[in-house]
Amino acid sequence: MKRIIYLLLAVAFAGGAIGYYLWNKPHVDMQTAKADLAIDAAALFNEYSADETAANAKYLDKMIAVSGKVKETTKAEDGTVKVSLNTGSDFGVLCELDPLSKHPRSEFTEGETVTFKGNCTGLNFDVQLTRCVEVK
Amino acid sequence: MQKRLLLFAALIAFSAPAFSQKFFTRDAKVKFFSDASMEKIEAVSKSGTAVLDAASGAMEWKVLIKGFLFEKALMQEHFNENYMESSKYPDATFKGSITNFSDLNLSKDGAYQAKVKGKMKIHGVEKDIEVSGTLTVGDGALKIFSEFTVKCTDYNIKIEAAKVANISNDIKITVDATLNPMKKGN
Repeated sequence: MKRIIYLLLAVAFAGGAIGYYLWNKPHVDMQTAKADLAIDAAALFNEYSADETAANAKYLDKMIAVSGKVKETTKAEDGTVKVSLNTGSDFGVLCELDPLSKHPRSEFTEGETVTFKGNCTGLNFDVQLTRCVEVK
Repeated sequence: MQKRLLLFAALIAFSAPAFSQKFFTRDAKVKFFSDASMEKIEAVSKSGTAVLDAASGAMEWKVLIKGFLFEKALMQEHFNENYMESSKYPDATFKGSITNFSDLNLSKDGAYQAKVKGKMKIHGVEKDIEVSGTLTVGDGALKIFSEFTVKCTDYNIKIEAAKVANISNDIKITVDATLNPMKKGN
């Protein structure tokens, strides 16, 4: 009888611990996360322009490393930094720096070649990536 | 001939005031808030887009669902997978126009109350909605702020009975954006 009670207690405790762990599961650490794939900014944008649905099936919610030349960097009042990568079109690949990561730098020179790793969230004029960190 | 050219140039110069312009942003802040008895849930996207035609008051908004960031990773996962099905419906959009546009003078600095009517599309379901907000003209830009409520049930977003205390059917949405004159390469 005692054994059953102990067993039940153990199960309840384990269940609680798993629940608690899941509840507080941290966001993916972008610095250490591995990119699912790497692609050139222009190629990514062109695929999205050609067929958004097909591109979403390939890239949506994937962690991708995108390389390209910096077109513009903007910094919002709340500190949000976005870097737009040139694709030769009016719109580009817009990388929003991760608010949860420490960034060695948030200034980027127009024209310099950079690579950002981030989550592809889809097409909204630009192809958007959130939680980006620079890859060296 | 020269006179005519001059006249033509003058016409072009004067017929293109701020009015005939489109305003745009890719930095619209879209926030939502669910206030249920057991839990408060909040998420924000800072990459919504908006285009407003300053000649007609027509506007279009779009925000990507997977761009919403939550405090808790698990909530973000559930939001995307169980409720919004964001792989199937990657964005939310609004297309509409300002209904009291004649009361607004976009060429004069100031704050105006704007009423907007149009079609909201969330989770693949389109609904006619009417909201109001503040449109502030200043520094050559248009600042838009609006707060309104949408119902999950209106957009076929199902909340299981067990989650009713955690997720409200009424979701408060806050939109905060500064639109600038659209230029090529924006």
